[in-house]
Amino acid sequence: MTGTPLIRLADVSKVYHLESGDFTALNHVTLDIAENEFVAIMGPSGSGKSTMMNQLGILDVPTSGNLFIDGKDVAKMTPLERTHMRRDVIGYIFQKFYLIPLLSAYENVEYPLILKYKKRDTTGKAAAVLKSVGFDEQMSSHRPNQLSGGQQQRVAIARALVNDPKILLCDEPTGNLDRKTGFQIMDILCGLHKEGKTVILVTHDPKIAEYAHRTIELEDGRVVES
Amino acid sequence: MRDIFFDLSVRSVKLNFLRSILASIGIVIGVVAISSMGMLGANMQLSVKQQLSSDVNTIMISSDVVRTTSTAGTPTTSQGIDKSTLNDITTAAGLNQVIPIHNTRTQFTIGSTDGRGSIYGLDPNDITKFLTIAQGENIKGGSDALVGANIATNFNMNIGSRIKIGQDNVSITRPTVRVAGILAARGFASDGVNTDNAIIVPDTWYTDHFGNKDLYDQVNVIMQNIDTINQTEAAIGDKVNRRTDIVRISDASSRLSSISSTLGTITTFILAIGSISLVVAAVSIFNVMMMSVNERIQEIGILLSIGTEKGEVRRMFLYEAFILGVIGALVGGICSLIIGYSVVSAMIGNTAYFFLPASIIYVPYGMIIGVVVCILSGLYPAWHASNMDPIDALRNE
Repeated sequence: MTGTPLIRLADVSKVYHLESGDFTALNHVTLDIAENEFVAIMGPSGSGKSTMMNQLGILDVPTSGNLFIDGKDVAKMTPLERTHMRRDVIGYIFQKFYLIPLLSAYENVEYPLILKYKKRDTTGKAAAVLKSVGFDEQMSSHRPNQLSGGQQQRVAIARALVNDPKILLCDEPTGNLDRKTGFQIMDILCGLHKEGKTVILVTHDPKIAEYAHRTIELEDGRVVES
Repeated sequence: MRDIFFDLSVRSVKLNFLRSILASIGIVIGVVAISSMGMLGANMQLSVKQQLSSDVNTIMISSDVVRTTSTAGTPTTSQGIDKSTLNDITTAAGLNQVIPIHNTRTQFTIGSTDGRGSIYGLDPNDITKFLTIAQGENIKGGSDALVGANIATNFNMNIGSRIKIGQDNVSITRPTVRVAGILAARGFASDGVNTDNAIIVPDTWYTDHFGNKDLYDQVNVIMQNIDTINQTEAAIGDKVNRRTDIVRISDASSRLSSISSTLGTITTFILAIGSISLVVAAVSIFNVMMMSVNERIQEIGILLSIGTEKGEVRRMFLYEAFILGVIGALVGGICSLIIGYSVVSAMIGNTAYFFLPASIIYVPYGMIIGVVVCILSGLYPAWHASNMDPIDALRNE
């Protein structure tokens, strides 16, 4: 690996203060992920995968240690700067799709563009990205509850891509899909990796993890294999 | 193209249409209460002010020297308002009507019944400027007279009845006047001309029999515009009471202002009662907004996790409160006009002032207050939504 990595975790810990006592979800994790890597994060339930994803998606900050994304120390950023980084640098793809139920498929994809440029999209980018992930154009005015799981995940991928982020965080992206659709979605992610995106994937499924070029194993909040 | 956050709010209101409408009904009632009560108060004030100002638009000027009572045939030597002072008053009064008045109290006899009352000597042309003739006609001069409502009733008088004026004294033949008209009842007149127990005679007849030509007991100035009464009083004071106080200047406008202030207090009170319904509406809007936030926790989590700013989330919920407020205010505004008109018509019996700006302004007031109350009620729910932890919010099912 040469140069500064896109993502660097330096001795990162995350401790939750619960009534039953402190719970360490991430325990002194040190890890670098370079630009254009395809990484799978695996591990049993409670191993810290979700906590790791929340840290990488800067939905949360470490209790101790330093997390650098795109050269910036997340802990030193203001909440608004973190919001803007989530919007511009990171594309998040969830297991449950998490589309905005009151918006149509097209509007869900257009939404991040509106957040960034503070106006409706007139460039046709939202439609183009939606098309690029193989979404049927005729369905673009449908609400999420009118779409199948595979269609919803395509919309979610399009939404994650539309602001051209460097990092794609995929939290069990095929978990709610049948096997065939799951592989189709993985093919899309492979294609995006080839286009230069850094793809970080959390999965239970070894078959899905095979798509990645590097696998990080977590156990009790520690990296056991990288 | 519209703001996407506004679109989201509109869709949320549509999705929970019934609940939103029910919450807006609270605002409708609040707006109607505030507007109708406000209009009722304003109409009451306008109506009373109109009635009173016809009564209190007069400046009364009397001599600052206390006079002795005069009797017919024995002219008084004490001072009144003389011709030059009257001229000064007329100059200072500008375009307002100046009415010089002679007045005394004396005995009179109608048929064989004796009575006592005031005799006013007035220029016949001045009479109709402030007095109302209920029956008969105005005096033209000579020995015509007008009688007050009480005298006419008590002495059972008709047009053409004769009255002997002055102290009954066997050595003198008393002058007689003929009743040309009967005045409408005035009650307690705030301009100092209490005619109900009085006889009005022409000024020429008065000075022929009581003397005091060009010496008046009282001068009234009838204001064209009551708002300038203080300036006119000051102008008369400056002109006439230059060195010493020659005349006393007074008016009844303080009574109007005290009644206006009482009515103002009543209006505020009934507005406060109306506001209670808006407080209830505010609680209902707050409740609906909290429900909306709690039902959409996961959606808020999605919005926050994909880079929506807190301010944008707040805006979305404030738009929703604003939409509920605008719906409530529009319907409330229309209902206020109908209900307010009915209430004013039923309680005041006069809708002449209803569409005047001072009255109708309560409709936009009520509507603005309704919308503002809605937005205020939405502040906490919006703040609560924008400050959620996106991780916890996403986990919420």
